[in-house]
Amino acid sequence: MTKHILIIDDEFDIRAVAQLTLKAVGGWDVSLAASGAEGLTKAAAEQPDVILLDVMMPDMDGIETFRALQANSSTQAIPVILMTAKVQAAEQRQFAELGIAGVIAKPFKAMKLPGQIAKTLGWDES
Amino acid sequence: MGLDAGADDYVAKPFNLQELLARIRALLRRGKPSLPPLLEWRSLKLDPSICEVTCNDQLVRLTPKEYALLELLLRNPHRIFNTSALIDQIWSFEELPTEDTIRSHVKGLRQKLKAAGVSDDPIETVYGIGYRLRAKRDNSQGTKARRSKTSKQSGMETGTETRVETVESQADELLKIWEQIKETVEQRVVLLEQSVGSLHQDQLSEELRQQAEQEAHRLAGSLGMFGADEGSRVAQEIELLFEVASSLNLKQKQHLTQLVVQLRQELQSMDQGQLLETPIPEELNDQRPCLLVVSLNSLLAEQIAAEAPRWGMRSQSTANPVTARAQISKQRPEIVLLDIAAANALENYWMLLAELSADTPPVPVVVLTEQESLIDRVKVVRLGGRGVLRQPVTPTQILESVNQVLQHTQPTQAMVMVVDDDQQVLTALQRLLIPWGLHVSVLDDPLRFLDTLEATHPDLLILDVEMPEINGIELCQVVRNDPRWSGLPILFLTAHSDARTMHRVFAVGADDYVCKPIVGPELVTRIFNRLERSRLLKSMAEVDALTGVANRHHSTHDLTEFLLWCRHCHQPFCFALLEVASLKQINQQYGHAAGDAVLARLGELLRQTFRSEDAIGRWGGGEFVVGMAGMSKAEGIQRLAVLQNTLHQFEFKAENGLLFQVTLQAGVVEYPQDGADLQALYCAASTVLR
Repeated sequence: MTKHILIIDDEFDIRAVAQLTLKAVGGWDVSLAASGAEGLTKAAAEQPDVILLDVMMPDMDGIETFRALQANSSTQAIPVILMTAKVQAAEQRQFAELGIAGVIAKPFKAMKLPGQIAKTLGWDES
Repeated sequence: MGLDAGADDYVAKPFNLQELLARIRALLRRGKPSLPPLLEWRSLKLDPSICEVTCNDQLVRLTPKEYALLELLLRNPHRIFNTSALIDQIWSFEELPTEDTIRSHVKGLRQKLKAAGVSDDPIETVYGIGYRLRAKRDNSQGTKARRSKTSKQSGMETGTETRVETVESQADELLKIWEQIKETVEQRVVLLEQSVGSLHQDQLSEELRQQAEQEAHRLAGSLGMFGADEGSRVAQEIELLFEVASSLNLKQKQHLTQLVVQLRQELQSMDQGQLLETPIPEELNDQRPCLLVVSLNSLLAEQIAAEAPRWGMRSQSTANPVTARAQISKQRPEIVLLDIAAANALENYWMLLAELSADTPPVPVVVLTEQESLIDRVKVVRLGGRGVLRQPVTPTQILESVNQVLQHTQPTQAMVMVVDDDQQVLTALQRLLIPWGLHVSVLDDPLRFLDTLEATHPDLLILDVEMPEINGIELCQVVRNDPRWSGLPILFLTAHSDARTMHRVFAVGADDYVCKPIVGPELVTRIFNRLERSRLLKSMAEVDALTGVANRHHSTHDLTEFLLWCRHCHQPFCFALLEVASLKQINQQYGHAAGDAVLARLGELLRQTFRSEDAIGRWGGGEFVVGMAGMSKAEGIQRLAVLQNTLHQFEFKAENGLLFQVTLQAGVVEYPQDGADLQALYCAASTVLR
């Protein structure tokens, strides 16, 4: 089964590069959302296999978006991977306490991203 | 011109009804038209069948000369064309262009392609020599290393065609995204520069400080994606400093300024394309396929290197898999000989083998082992090895099998045979056709026609109508009356385009004609039209439509060839006869559609399991054969067991909803113990099966 992944990031280039590499290298279906609010709607409607969520966004940031996803029973079970350029240990711990599936450091290497996601979620080498 | 625009043929008015009918018959003989392959260069696509050029699906309007120029370069990706070669190829004999004319056409083409959004200039000027197609990015070392790493990390199969293509174009796509965001990145750096200026004058507002921090954060998160790791690192440091901008001392402020300057420099070098992968120059002169010998036996490597030129190859050698990897990353060989005869730790060798097979496209590998080696041949094949040779073999035999594997993996070029008594015409045609990637065999003596035809096995025949002794019309009749050649496309050259000649030409079975004096582009267009059509017909005639494997006629040819090779090189040959158990009962009980589903599934499994160095074929209803060159009976049984098991586990569904499973029976024999030729092996295998 083809994996479906939702990318929520306010930056055009992050969305574009992530979409490109996940489609081309990972062979996954990719949906995009440019804000937390749009992401919530799409997550509920499309039920992706995983959500890639940027931490720093205007209006609704990644942490708020994640809490909203958790609060909604239809999106509660979808694993969320946070993307952040700040990966200090303290923040890492704070993220982990939220109950996310993993953290990916920005800037990610385009070609490595699909592998990182697969590894985080324990998707096997099939 | 109508033909370039995709027409199949034309008739001059006023036309003669007989001629028209003969032409229509000629067209009908060709069967269904097919879509000829697209020529591609990154986002640029050229469809030769309709003479259309697109970039990102947008039509690019070109003049006929610009089009011909682009097609020529796309069809010959490595060849450098000097101006006189371009004049020969693209301008007809009547036109006499100067070098300036060519230059202005190249310039015009470049401008149109650039305007259409083609990234980079596809036409590379080789100073002092001429023009050629710019190498695609996939030749670069960086991409390849990254690609193979990624495929392992993400555990993705690189085997599927579409994925391979998308990965190849990924670097270009990344470049496009960079082009789109360049402006924004530029603005962000400008804002940082302004903020630093304000900071030094103690005029940095809180609003601007926050903005600068955010922009630095964004740059940190993004530049590294495009290869600017240092840019990201610098931006991150800038972000941290802006966070506490109000409490910075003078020294820290100066450091911040330096960082912003450094960021600007990083950006400039990215803009000049320094950080995105730069293609490494490839060797221009030597286009012969390169054989890399990985062997501890330097004497053998030397012998092979000395003999390789005789086989149209060049050879390099290296001692072990570790040095081989370095060598391969420098220059990708067309084929690798992996000598594991003297090696003690094999793990490294298997890794290299697996890596080479997983590369895109795979590098074929031939493995050389010791005489009494217990090497698991099945393992070699599973890891993607194309052949196993057992010592003792001579360097000649090694090169022979290397060459054979190479022939199987490289796209076969079409062979065109030309018969004309005028030596000048022959020379002109050779000069005209060879740059288009065609093999050309010429004959000026029609009396030697049949011998040459047998020897060259052409894909297309060009005949002159007027020749002494035997004319072209008669030769055409000879060809059409021989069932082996009835499908061969024939094109006539004639100085007379009168209705009577035309009628005679089409009536004897010609496919097309070209008038003398020959106009280069027209002849080339017509030749490619013919070849593309006959290739489709040929594949229809050789492949069993239901199962996708070769039919009996075609697989017999392959099997015989493999058998001869095994005899010559003293290698074993494993022959297996496979039969779906009680296919008749399946058809009766579950319907023929269910029976067909079984056969189609089996065909699919066979094609997946066996590669180009094995021959597979469907010989009758539920009867299939497999020939495995270089494999023993035991090894063959082992490989087939996997297949039998997979098929048996598959549940088929009949139309009435019933589920059923099938058993595949196999009779496996080995040359030479069980039979000396194909027929004997078949009989022996049948006996085992019963």
